[in-house]
Amino acid sequence: MRKFLPSFKLLSGLLNVYGLVFLTFLYMPLGLIVLYSFNANPINMAVWTGFTFDWYATIFGGAAVETTFDAAFTESPERIFEVVKNSFLVAFTAASIATIVGTATAIAIARYNFITKRFYQALLLLPMLIPDIVLGISLLIFFVGIGFELGLMTIIVGHVTFLSSYVFVVVSARLAGMDTTLEQASADLGAGPVTTFRRVTLPQIMPGVVGGFLLAFIISLDDVVITYFIAGVGSQTLPLFILAMMRRGIRPQITALAVLILLFSFVVATVGLLLRNRKP
Amino acid sequence: MGFLQIASAHKAYQTPEGALVRALDDISIDVRNNEFLTLLGPSGCGKTTLLKIIAGFEDLDGGDIILEGRSLKEVPAHRRPFNTVFQNYALFPHMTISQNIGYGLDVAGVKKPDRDRRVGEALEMVGLVGYGSRRPAQLSGGQQQRVALARSLILKPRVLLLDEPLSALDRKMREAMQIELKNLQDSVGITFIFVTHDQEEALAMSDRIAVISNGRLQQLGSPTEVYDAPDNEFVANFVGTSNLFTGRIIDVDTGQGLVTMETGNGRRLCAGSRAYGLGDEVKLILRPEHLRLVDGDTPDGPCLIEGSVKDVIFVGSVVHLHVDVGFGRTAIVYHHHDRTGFRNDIEHGAHVRLAYAPDSAHLIANGRG
Ligand SMILES: Nc1ncnc2c1ncn2[C@@H]1O[C@H](COP(=O)(O)OP(=O)(O)OP(=O)(O)O)[C@@H](O)[C@H]1O
Ligand SMILES: [Mg+2]
Repeated sequence: MRKFLPSFKLLSGLLNVYGLVFLTFLYMPLGLIVLYSFNANPINMAVWTGFTFDWYATIFGGAAVETTFDAAFTESPERIFEVVKNSFLVAFTAASIATIVGTATAIAIARYNFITKRFYQALLLLPMLIPDIVLGISLLIFFVGIGFELGLMTIIVGHVTFLSSYVFVVVSARLAGMDTTLEQASADLGAGPVTTFRRVTLPQIMPGVVGGFLLAFIISLDDVVITYFIAGVGSQTLPLFILAMMRRGIRPQITALAVLILLFSFVVATVGLLLRNRKP
Repeated sequence: MGFLQIASAHKAYQTPEGALVRALDDISIDVRNNEFLTLLGPSGCGKTTLLKIIAGFEDLDGGDIILEGRSLKEVPAHRRPFNTVFQNYALFPHMTISQNIGYGLDVAGVKKPDRDRRVGEALEMVGLVGYGSRRPAQLSGGQQQRVALARSLILKPRVLLLDEPLSALDRKMREAMQIELKNLQDSVGITFIFVTHDQEEALAMSDRIAVISNGRLQQLGSPTEVYDAPDNEFVANFVGTSNLFTGRIIDVDTGQGLVTMETGNGRRLCAGSRAYGLGDEVKLILRPEHLRLVDGDTPDGPCLIEGSVKDVIFVGSVVHLHVDVGFGRTAIVYHHHDRTGFRNDIEHGAHVRLAYAPDSAHLIANGRG
């Protein structure tokens, strides 16, 4: 055993270096953007001139934009509020509908036997594999074809189509791990199908349903490609808005906005993890 | 008219490979009111399938389940007056013990004071007072089993179905629960249909036993009937241990009700029977405890087997002897172990003479099973 010790040490050393490099590449940019968002230098973000909350203040309307150097590049708090509202409205509505559709389908596929079952299963997984750009174009052609005016409504419908797949996968995994005799026991004790679903099946799969909803919510919130195709003129979402801002250059306000989105995602992910780890 | 009739029940499953498994093949049982009926059979013989069909979790391919003259074919599981104790208990993990036990009452819309009182009584009945606010995962296997029992019995079902409820318990606990269950059944006056693959458990608890093999009913009778007079070779071997000899009747003494059978290699054995005549092909079954060791003074005859001891297995109350009785046959003998008694010094290779009472030999027709 001793003979192998040095080479083992070497190996673990290499592994540590690899890990360090990996983590650096992953987290350095994130760290930088956080740093930049507090940098008072309005011209060159890479040169530190002092600590400031100004960029955050411009988002919330606390700082007078006119006084800053690049007022022309800065969006008004009202405008930001509007796109954030759009994004949340879309994400919440689409994730909610997708959760209902995805959960119902997962239950149907797990609990009932029908001939077209496998076909449906494949059909549901497909949207996750189809390239976003293809899905975006097809949805656009479809909406235009049936004369659906592009706007928040089309974004919601579009998001539901592929978000349902994600919820379906998450809830299916939970259902597969559930003991089916629990449902039999419920029926055995006199409960009809609706009561059994409400009092036994749903509490058992709840962590999956909530997890699916949060996943769908986050995916919807930062979707760019598909949304880009099916958004109307007056229906910009936050990612599209940021993209538009970027065209005029990366300004400090964007970094502050990005940090806020990052923070929000962390909170949602943490809530999701906590819910998942909670024993039923 | 019977209480609960299982009438020519048929059920086949399609395996993924396309083969057909006959889980139930024409099973008919008239279950009596208030009896303790056991379904006994080896793993995979269809016991759980039959229970699921009675409970309503599975549909029949053919035949019917009739409760007091009314077919249950169109009655879904949640409307049948039966309750099940599942093999894995199937307690709801997200509910407390009290919520589990009260589930059926809640579903039935029983008002809170009445419900709480009955849940309290049920907890008391199964000896779990004070455990009401725990979760199933915080109970031992035996305690979970009691909760499952209480959850079912609280609804006062016409029939309680139990699928190997004791198999997860250790031996001591299992034996204690066997007695408890039997006493419980006596006191609540509910028909129990109990599934097990353990023949001792079946013999100890049942009013009647239905022995099942390969989806077919092999025998239905009281524990003594099934043990003392098995209908066929399968039952003889599955319930208890049997020494089996195949042969033909060569002598009939109608006066004494005695027959003599000769095996293919000339061994002659006696049996008390009036059911068989000269030339009948039969199988003779001798239980190990009916073979007695006798001394050399006992005269030779057809109710005596000689051989030499191959193995001596001491199991406590008795000694199991494997005796080579010639022609490559081994007879199993349970010799009562008593420290002062006859021949406690039996060793490997000892010559022994085994006698039995003619009436303790049971004959079955050869070719059946
Ligand atoms: N859903 C099913 N699909 C296919 N075959 C099945 C199904 N359920 C049971 N079987 C088959 O039917 C036969 C009877 O099964 P069953 O569960 O009734 O056996 P059992 O007597 O309860 O056995 P055990 O003592 O092991 O529980 C077995 O051969 C089993 O493989
Ligand atoms: Mg079984």
